[in-house]
Amino acid sequence: MALKALDIYKILPKKNCKECGDPTCLTFAMKLAAGKGDINLCPYLDEQAKNVLGASTRPPIRLVKIGVGERVLPVGEEFVLYRHDKTFYHPPGILFGVKDTLPESGITSIVKRVRAERVTRVGMDLALNGIAVTNDSGSPGTFANAVAVVEKNADLPLILMSQDTGALAAALVHCGTYRPLIHAATPGNFREMCALAKQHGCPLAITVQGVDNLAVLADACVKEGVADLVLDPAPANLHEYVPVATAIRELAITRTAPDLGYPIFLDATRYFPEDAAIVLGIVKYASVIVTSPLSPAAVTSALTLRQNIYTDPQKPIQMNPGIYRIGNPGKEAPVFMTVNFSLTYFTLEGYLESTRTPCFMLLVDTEGLSVLTAVASGKLNETIVRDSIKKFNLESEVSHRKLIIPGYASPLSGRIEEQTGWKVLVGPRDAAEVGEFIEQVWKKEKPGTT
Amino acid sequence: MGLTPPFDWTGSVGTVTLGATAAEGGTRSVSYRIGGGTTLPLLPGGNPGHAPLVAFEICDDIKLWPAIALKACGNVTGDIAAWAKIAENTYQADVIRLYLTSTRQRNFSDFAKIKTTVRAVLDATTLPVIIEGSNEPAIDSEVFLACGEAGQGERLLLGTAEAGRYRSIAAAALAYNHGVIAQSPIDINLAKQLNILLREIGVPNNQIVIDPYTGTLGYGFEYSFSAMERIRFAALKGDADLAMPMICSAIDSLNIKEVRDANPAGQDRMAISWECYAGIAAAAAGAEIVCVRHPGSVALLKDTFSHLTPKSGGA
Repeated sequence: MALKALDIYKILPKKNCKECGDPTCLTFAMKLAAGKGDINLCPYLDEQAKNVLGASTRPPIRLVKIGVGERVLPVGEEFVLYRHDKTFYHPPGILFGVKDTLPESGITSIVKRVRAERVTRVGMDLALNGIAVTNDSGSPGTFANAVAVVEKNADLPLILMSQDTGALAAALVHCGTYRPLIHAATPGNFREMCALAKQHGCPLAITVQGVDNLAVLADACVKEGVADLVLDPAPANLHEYVPVATAIRELAITRTAPDLGYPIFLDATRYFPEDAAIVLGIVKYASVIVTSPLSPAAVTSALTLRQNIYTDPQKPIQMNPGIYRIGNPGKEAPVFMTVNFSLTYFTLEGYLESTRTPCFMLLVDTEGLSVLTAVASGKLNETIVRDSIKKFNLESEVSHRKLIIPGYASPLSGRIEEQTGWKVLVGPRDAAEVGEFIEQVWKKEKPGTT
Repeated sequence: MGLTPPFDWTGSVGTVTLGATAAEGGTRSVSYRIGGGTTLPLLPGGNPGHAPLVAFEICDDIKLWPAIALKACGNVTGDIAAWAKIAENTYQADVIRLYLTSTRQRNFSDFAKIKTTVRAVLDATTLPVIIEGSNEPAIDSEVFLACGEAGQGERLLLGTAEAGRYRSIAAAALAYNHGVIAQSPIDINLAKQLNILLREIGVPNNQIVIDPYTGTLGYGFEYSFSAMERIRFAALKGDADLAMPMICSAIDSLNIKEVRDANPAGQDRMAISWECYAGIAAAAAGAEIVCVRHPGSVALLKDTFSHLTPKSGGA
């Protein structure tokens, strides 16, 4: 079980020497307690103290890096079972599988897709992470050639998938210095696999059925000198994935089974529907997901889901309060007032765009609360609406003085009129109806009347 | 062997019955008992009744319906009975969810028409039916009584009750023995509060399905995902006021930019993908009914859910 910060502090030298990089021993202790510090940074601890602290202060799931350089893929170092308990830190890598039996042109086109495809959402560029070359040919030479083709085209994180240590050794000649993930050691071949991983300094995936066997195999590999491990529980059926991944995650973060404290590997290509395996991998604890070369639709959905799930839930996603434009609105364009909860903003924005009516959105600061909760809690009120109109200088944007408020804010309509002097029109509760509202209500409002 | 996750659950999810067969006083070919999970979703014992259900959404006034869904359904969308029938026979949905969008026009008053529409859908399909009525307090009472009466004996699920307006729906559900969808805006505390309000006016827990409100993938889905996980966790930890099954409907999926502006050749695929990625993730978070509007999504979700629950053992 994890130690509390004060228990750790008692064991530390209490010199406040700052040599660990922290200002005091207490802040270092707090970092260790959160699983975010490295005990070896303290130069004044003896081996025994390090052993006592090491087991309980290192992250419950080891950070493993696949690849090198700009696109290195760090996975693991997670602390919770539910994202709402804290957050998930390292989004799973999504890597396209490439069969070594493909012609060079086929391999090249897949590699180019992984390199180039981007999904831009909320100001972030989302990308695929790498390539997993599979030894379908069974031939070491063909496998090594395929890896060489991938390497020639891109410096992406790689996974080398073969049971044949000869094939892996041949491929590692081309890419060994770039820290590819080797997949996979089994109880039958783990000594040879560990030797290869050690020789090239590569992370190693291990696979065997059953969490107990995985723990035993992980321990054996650590004893062989390989610490950067990834666990592939290789469930026989899709319905076994969530149970086994949940078991590994729970046993690791509670430190019930420290030998399971490694990132989880999921080969989604083994399951049908593959989309389902990808979704379950993203939401339930996979750190490395191998897929077939996916359709653009699946890539966009998968990257978006991954972004959603790995968003820090401690920070509500808020938009900056202010005036937002849909199209090129003129002085007579309608103004839709709403809250700065991003979900509300994006939903309303989408519907407004589809009406093809240029307009303004006035986002008032409700600290990221939705309309309903902001009205209920008083965060959305006439004063904040009045102040926002002034602050963002709405009066200079439009010639009219009419404000459309969300349907759920209708109880505030009278008070907003009093405070702002603007005429209030109560819009629909459901953003989907905003098009109809513009047709039925806004267009019948005579221009110039206030 | 020795290693099992140290979960320590003290509660379980309650059950709600949807639909009534002839033996149960209705005319449906099947009824579903949803809920009953004693651990996390998709673990053995997490979904004991059956796999999550797929509900196909249709509406009686297509003005507000996404163009992509209308195009994919073709010319049945003008005929509510034909639409319901094709959803059962061709798309192979488990449940039909009828939105009475006609009630959402300003000054709606044709309450007799509501009854005819509900009856037409119940006659056209043998599946259990969810009815989404008005969302305007001034007409809720008449709309929901009309729905309740038209579906008497069929054990409908009526939606949607919210903190500000739940009495009319609850009254109709109690009078005609239907279930109620209780929707709260992505907040576990508000969900609990609404369930307590419903209980206080006499709606028993086994007639309530929680709708935590589902933000579309990329548009707040993560809030909904976590709200569902928290509700499920609370139920398993013994909070009876949150121990109801959940329904998920990411209703804006087919209206967002990514889908609307997709390359025409790949638009259906994008629509299906967007609905299904959210739907499968929601099932992993605890949703027992997943609602979609694109016919292609029904097939992919049904395939998925059939692979997520082993044939034997009922886990």
